[in-house]
Amino acid sequence: MFLDSDLLMSALRALTPILLAALGGALCERAGVFNIGLEGMMLMGCFTSVATSWFTGSPWLGVLAAALAAAAYSLVLAVGAVTLRGDAVVLGIAMNLLAVGLTSFLLRTVFGVQGTFDDPSLAGLPLIGGFTPLAYLSWAAVAVAALLLSRHVWGLRLRGVGEAPDAAATLGVSPAKYQYGAILLSGVLCGLAGAQLALGNVTLFTENMTAGRGWIAVVAVMLGRAAPLGVLLAALLFGLAEAAGFRLQGLGLPQQATDAAPYVVTLGALFLTTARRRRRPRTTGAVQ
Amino acid sequence: MPRRHRRSAQLAALATGTVLLATACNAAAEKDDSASAATGGSGKSFTLVTPDAVGQNEFLKLAVTGVKSAAKQHDGTQKVYESTDTASQQQNVQAAVDAEPDVVVLVGFEFADLVAQQAEKNPGQQFLIIDACTTKTFKNVSCAVFREHEGVYLAGAEAGLLSKSGKVGAVDVLDTPQFRRYSDPFAAGAEKVAAKTETSTRFVGGQSPFDDSARAKEQANTLLAKGYDQIMAAAAAGNYGVFEAAKAKGAFAYGVDVNQCASAPGTVVDNVIKRTDIAVEKGIETVLGGTTGTTVSYGLKEGGISLTGLEDGVDTSKCVIADHKDVLTKVEALRDQIVSGELKVDDPAAS
Repeated sequence: MFLDSDLLMSALRALTPILLAALGGALCERAGVFNIGLEGMMLMGCFTSVATSWFTGSPWLGVLAAALAAAAYSLVLAVGAVTLRGDAVVLGIAMNLLAVGLTSFLLRTVFGVQGTFDDPSLAGLPLIGGFTPLAYLSWAAVAVAALLLSRHVWGLRLRGVGEAPDAAATLGVSPAKYQYGAILLSGVLCGLAGAQLALGNVTLFTENMTAGRGWIAVVAVMLGRAAPLGVLLAALLFGLAEAAGFRLQGLGLPQQATDAAPYVVTLGALFLTTARRRRRPRTTGAVQ
Repeated sequence: MPRRHRRSAQLAALATGTVLLATACNAAAEKDDSASAATGGSGKSFTLVTPDAVGQNEFLKLAVTGVKSAAKQHDGTQKVYESTDTASQQQNVQAAVDAEPDVVVLVGFEFADLVAQQAEKNPGQQFLIIDACTTKTFKNVSCAVFREHEGVYLAGAEAGLLSKSGKVGAVDVLDTPQFRRYSDPFAAGAEKVAAKTETSTRFVGGQSPFDDSARAKEQANTLLAKGYDQIMAAAAAGNYGVFEAAKAKGAFAYGVDVNQCASAPGTVVDNVIKRTDIAVEKGIETVLGGTTGTTVSYGLKEGGISLTGLEDGVDTSKCVIADHKDVLTKVEALRDQIVSGELKVDDPAAS
């Protein structure tokens, strides 16, 4: 059978790191900061979680350290884009490049190895019902983020800052404060995504191990239009497409074709959603 | 194969790392003159340039062993220049050429382009590249390449003999003829010893196929879910992901290039290893003998490719195969057939 529990488990495992990072990206997007540094922040999380878990023996401290380290790293974007008004795209790309170099360098200096740090005694996260606690946390985070953005005053102000920063400022809401908050939160979430990848999906660190998942998260943010539920669905689509791609290889499809699966799905979904969006009358926009 | 991604880590290496950091800034060349007999009798000199720090990298350690024993044999001297990055690779090759040794030995595909430039500029200098070759042929560049497929075939035979489910699979990096050397012969080897064996290969692919251990692990999982219990791991850094997947399901895996058994004792059965020391020693021999500009292929016959299980020290290798002497006996017989030419292993990269 093609659709079975193994496929679903595989899809959900692929989902977790992407979802956590994408939620962070969505918060930034809502606050008016285009964050494409997710990949780099995630990679910082990967390294910090592995290093901390190795030296303390506790994967939980690893998760905590990953969240803190990635949040600290996200300050580059916060200070650069919000305080200094730099270009967020340029900063994001720089952060991604720096993270690859920095983690590779740290891997050599801290562990004295190149490429991969792997040890049978490195403690990973425990599995509950086949998933790490971070997977459950990621699902809860979707609900929390959805409530926050639609019901809570903090979330409403955040959206206000994103949509009309000048208007927000005249009402006494500091755009910079909310944008800092959103970026730091995205750092925490990307740190958790990295910890999930390096201590959950696998238990090791490899240079550039995020392998484009941060970019997929960026696309998930766009596809889900920065709404938590939409982001969840978009990320799930990627997870399913990837898992199904693996399965199709087993049915004899060439790797080059199955590799394209997630991207074909993205293009298809983008086409469908924008086509629908374009058809919708846009009169309400003028009234608001 | 990008063996630079396959380093097993030891905490003991921590100290080495710190030292490396301290010296990395100015160390275009970390010279290792330890074994050089100050004035070699024959006056022959060899310089080995590595693409990375030798450290815990067994593949490079073997190359160092090779150049040292060549120096001993020819009563000459040797030097080792360890590179740390692309810039130092370039500086080291330049430094090696400037010193004008009899042979400059380089390990890895990283050097193919660098050597092509240098060989043109310095026609009098002899170069030996291990595990790669220049695209153009030069009179002063000799190459040593490996017939990995022969070793993979033997690993496949072990898998076929050890499989309980009768299903053996491989997780490979990319679907190209060169990388298929690590998967197709594995299936062929298993089918040779157990005709009814079912075989399947998954390719990691994706955006960075060499680094994505999470993806490699999922690929291994799809095989394991279907009952495959012996898996060839040829996924570069992804190998560790494959080992994790196999370990979780109580299945078995096979490593490549160096002994990877310590990464997952009780899970990794055996490894297809490249004896770079033999390729270096024999390569130097050939160049000194006056035959230059040729590409020599090393396989089971030349001892350039082997299995951890067929080498000395198998009992302390932490490999599962150490407990299966009966299997090893059969695999040795197959090896002898391949060495004698009686049995031919198809090369997926041959065209």
